[in-house]
Amino acid sequence: MADLTFKPVIGLEIHVQLATKSKLFCSCSTDYIGVAPNTNVCPACLGLPGSLPALNAKAVEYGVKAALALNCTINTATRFHRKNYFYADLPKAYQISQYDLPIAEKGYVDVSTEEGGSYRIGITRLHLEEDAGKLVHEASDGRLVGADQSFVDYNRGGIPLAEIVSEPDIRSAAEAKEYVTRLRQLVRYLGVSDGDMEKGSLRVDANISVKCSDGRWGNRAEIKNLNSLRALERALEYEIKRQSQLLAEGEEITQETRHWDDVEGVTRATRSKEEAHDYRYFPEPDLPPLILPEGYVEKVRNTLPELPWQKMERFMSSYELNETDAMILSEHMALADFYEACVEAGASPLRASNWVRTEVLRVMNEQKIDITEFPVDAAALAQLIAKVDDNKISTTAAREVFDTMAAKKVSLEEAMKICGVEEGGISGSDLEKMIRNILENNTDVVETIKSGQDKKGKKQKFLQGLIMKEARGQTDPREAASLLAKLLEE
Amino acid sequence: MAVSADDIRHVAALARLEITEDEVQAMHQHFEEIMTYFNRLNELDLEGIDAFALKVEENIPWREDRAIDSSVREDVLAEAPHRYEDFFRVPRIVEEE
Amino acid sequence: MKLYELSAAQITRGIHEGKFSASEVFLSCLARAEVLEPQISAMLTITEESGMAQAKAVDEAVASGKKLPPLAGVPFVVKDNMCTKGIPTTCASKMLMQWKPPYNATVIELLAEAGAVLMGKTNLDEFAMGGTTEHSVYGATSNPWKLDCVPGGSSGGSAASVSAGYVPFSLGSDTGGSIRQPAAFCGIYGFKPTYGLVSRRGLAAFASSLDQIGPFARTVEDLALVLNAISQKDELDSTCSCRPRPDYTKALNAESLKGRRVGVIKEIQEYAIDPEVRKAFDQTLKFCERQGAEIVEITLPTMVEYGLPCYYILALAEASSNLARFDGVRYGLSTDAESLLDLYTKTRAQGFGLEVKRRILVGTYVLSSGYYDAYYLVAQKARQLIKQEFVKAFGSVDTILLPTAPSPAFKKGELINDPIQMYMADIFTLPVNLAGLPALSLNAGFSADGRPLGVQFIGQWWDEEGLLSTASLHEKTFGCAPIAQGGVR
Repeated sequence: MADLTFKPVIGLEIHVQLATKSKLFCSCSTDYIGVAPNTNVCPACLGLPGSLPALNAKAVEYGVKAALALNCTINTATRFHRKNYFYADLPKAYQISQYDLPIAEKGYVDVSTEEGGSYRIGITRLHLEEDAGKLVHEASDGRLVGADQSFVDYNRGGIPLAEIVSEPDIRSAAEAKEYVTRLRQLVRYLGVSDGDMEKGSLRVDANISVKCSDGRWGNRAEIKNLNSLRALERALEYEIKRQSQLLAEGEEITQETRHWDDVEGVTRATRSKEEAHDYRYFPEPDLPPLILPEGYVEKVRNTLPELPWQKMERFMSSYELNETDAMILSEHMALADFYEACVEAGASPLRASNWVRTEVLRVMNEQKIDITEFPVDAAALAQLIAKVDDNKISTTAAREVFDTMAAKKVSLEEAMKICGVEEGGISGSDLEKMIRNILENNTDVVETIKSGQDKKGKKQKFLQGLIMKEARGQTDPREAASLLAKLLEE
Repeated sequence: MAVSADDIRHVAALARLEITEDEVQAMHQHFEEIMTYFNRLNELDLEGIDAFALKVEENIPWREDRAIDSSVREDVLAEAPHRYEDFFRVPRIVEEE
Repeated sequence: MKLYELSAAQITRGIHEGKFSASEVFLSCLARAEVLEPQISAMLTITEESGMAQAKAVDEAVASGKKLPPLAGVPFVVKDNMCTKGIPTTCASKMLMQWKPPYNATVIELLAEAGAVLMGKTNLDEFAMGGTTEHSVYGATSNPWKLDCVPGGSSGGSAASVSAGYVPFSLGSDTGGSIRQPAAFCGIYGFKPTYGLVSRRGLAAFASSLDQIGPFARTVEDLALVLNAISQKDELDSTCSCRPRPDYTKALNAESLKGRRVGVIKEIQEYAIDPEVRKAFDQTLKFCERQGAEIVEITLPTMVEYGLPCYYILALAEASSNLARFDGVRYGLSTDAESLLDLYTKTRAQGFGLEVKRRILVGTYVLSSGYYDAYYLVAQKARQLIKQEFVKAFGSVDTILLPTAPSPAFKKGELINDPIQMYMADIFTLPVNLAGLPALSLNAGFSADGRPLGVQFIGQWWDEEGLLSTASLHEKTFGCAPIAQGGVR
């Protein structure tokens, strides 16, 4: 029997928390991070008798915005359904969701690979629904209170979610990761979600099956609890291997829900329920149909920002950046804005690109801050870059000034003062005096050079280094080099 | 469509209602009668009728995205049948999903 | 005349003119209730303290010469499925016996703004499921005209308390006839408004697409006054209409029914209707003719034949979902349990009564996988068909007259174990809910043994004014609804 090969077929369901101020169907705040349990609650999101849903217009707008960026068709006449099931985190015992008529469907997104290629992933649908509350198994101080109890916090219950379902177009764990990265970038660009997987604002479930080269298809498994990109990638790799092995051994694959155990690095079948799910969907009678007014979709389309891939293309064509640099700079909208502000303030596009990618990102990393809180503004950076370009200060000095501006949050002028950097620096007779001094203190090196033994020019470079060090970078290295050469001739 | 005792047990499970065997038996006949009665609807000619016409005049109202504190928190927690600190307490749930 | 015998309009006028105080009215109503409650059992909670405080506030407003709101100092009661902040709201269920809502239903807020004084909460069939007010965990309510009879339901307590003169008006909820049928059984006016006229927020839902709150009263003017107060748009009820509401008291000045076309449904002519009810219906029809109305025969075949199964499938499907929230986690009854599943099944088994359980199971069944298309979907289509038939009928008539129920109030216990027969009592009321139409039930005399006989006028969508106008002419001719003595002389 020839060697069998296995092809994974993966589709992802992604829940994105929309960044509205209030919940999907009530006016409770959505800001629940660090808030005491059951603070953002009201009769509606607690499912008290008599309470009714009232739809948040912003959630609709955000949903449509995300769908447009995903090239979806918007359904202008839709409705909400009730999805009925009992669980402690679901206050009404039904979730208001969209079912047969999602607000958007039939879209796609192009994802670029690390190798520079690109592939298209189909979007089946995007629909709006409310989030569930949160189950907690320990008290606020971390204590586990009794092994036989759980606790419910409804702060999250009712927060708007956009569920984005992909076609089963994904062929590997790496592709899945790229796709999620792309979606996360997109929702952040659009400002419709913070897309933070750790906080749970972006949650991924994966459907995966494998197809054997002999034509056999395995059943699909749904994997839950993928709360980081790494978990997603590892879980899929594990699952591909597991399913392929089973198929290779001629086994059937059980259609089931599996849970990713990040510690053990395995997926496990969840305990099967005592009965199959029967959600008894029916149209939500408390809500009339959702009809988008004429012109609404166009209005939302007009609010779409330049999308990351469009921005990248433009950076390449307008600023002549290479693909890698353009990608890095366009990854986050705020970073791209910073870069462009820098260019607009007069910095050359290439120089600005170098500075932002190396120095700015480094400082962001070191200080663990976002570009929006960056202590050096783009105009100041542009000025600094201009000084280097005009040979007014050296690159080394500029770096020192930049670090000082970032660390001490001071202006360019103040930073230069602190670093003792002056425009122009040491040159002419001052520089000559300094070099003579250095040569006198290093007569042995000078002798070696003069005797013609410095064939590779190493010794001369050593002297040049001493000069630059002595000048603390405040001299034009080209002037220093030619002066040094001249003085060595003497 | 005949209704079986198993059907009744099944819907009771779906509806999360504990039901005794006596109740299943007692409910059975009632269920049969009701369903037989309901089946009369099949006599109607419903060809071409849209069950869920989406009409513009019944459009959903839009709520402005503004966070408002309902200030019911204390009252609600005070009514909780099982409360622990600021949580609603339930029997231990082993996470399955 | 005793103060409790006055209409809401008379009370506000009297208070305004200084003839008596709101406190005196409240005490008079309270005393009336105290005398009759042992026989009638209409009330689940009497809010003596908070009501007295509200009444005193009205008196202070009078003393300081402030402008009085339209229902200033008028005592009222509400069905106990409407949320009242800090006041028990039980839905007559063991499930909510201890529950005090943290908020007021919108109608409660609106009536408070209008100056009305809440005197208490009234008995009902558990979660409004029933037509007799016998399915209450607190026991049955009696018909004030005949104590061994039911007051109708599910808003039986609200109907009985107005009929017996506790208060001039009350609120009920009508899902399939729960205002009109008890109004007919108790001999008073009951008004079910167009779906979407009155906010449902704070009404514990039975069937969301059918439920509507409306008033009981003994005069048509009071109906109009209460309707004025409670029919406002509500941004917290998405199904509540934004259309402007007229001043309903303006509809009470009609001189005749000239130019009005009154429809009579052909299909009910052969229907088994109690002879005395039929007589009351015929007399009301004659009255319309005498007033100059044109009588037109119309046909509504689906409504009579298929309205009942259509209604029950949809109402119970929605109910099964609406009542799923009672799970012992956040409020209400909760049993001790080993697991979450245990908590759910035990709490719900203990908390719900038999009729509610029956309905939840049937409702779950018609939505469940494999049966949805055969029942729920078919019923939704039938509902559209019934609506279409009404649209067509209203092409040739302005209002439709028919009996409110096929019979007058029946004996307690008579139908309690025969759900289908009990459901049949709603046959003339529930099509109105399926179509979302307004309808008004009024007293059209008494049976030989002293039971009230009711008929109802169904109006076109949003034509509350037409119904009030017709009823006010009827009232001018036959008088307003009399107060029952509840077995007490």
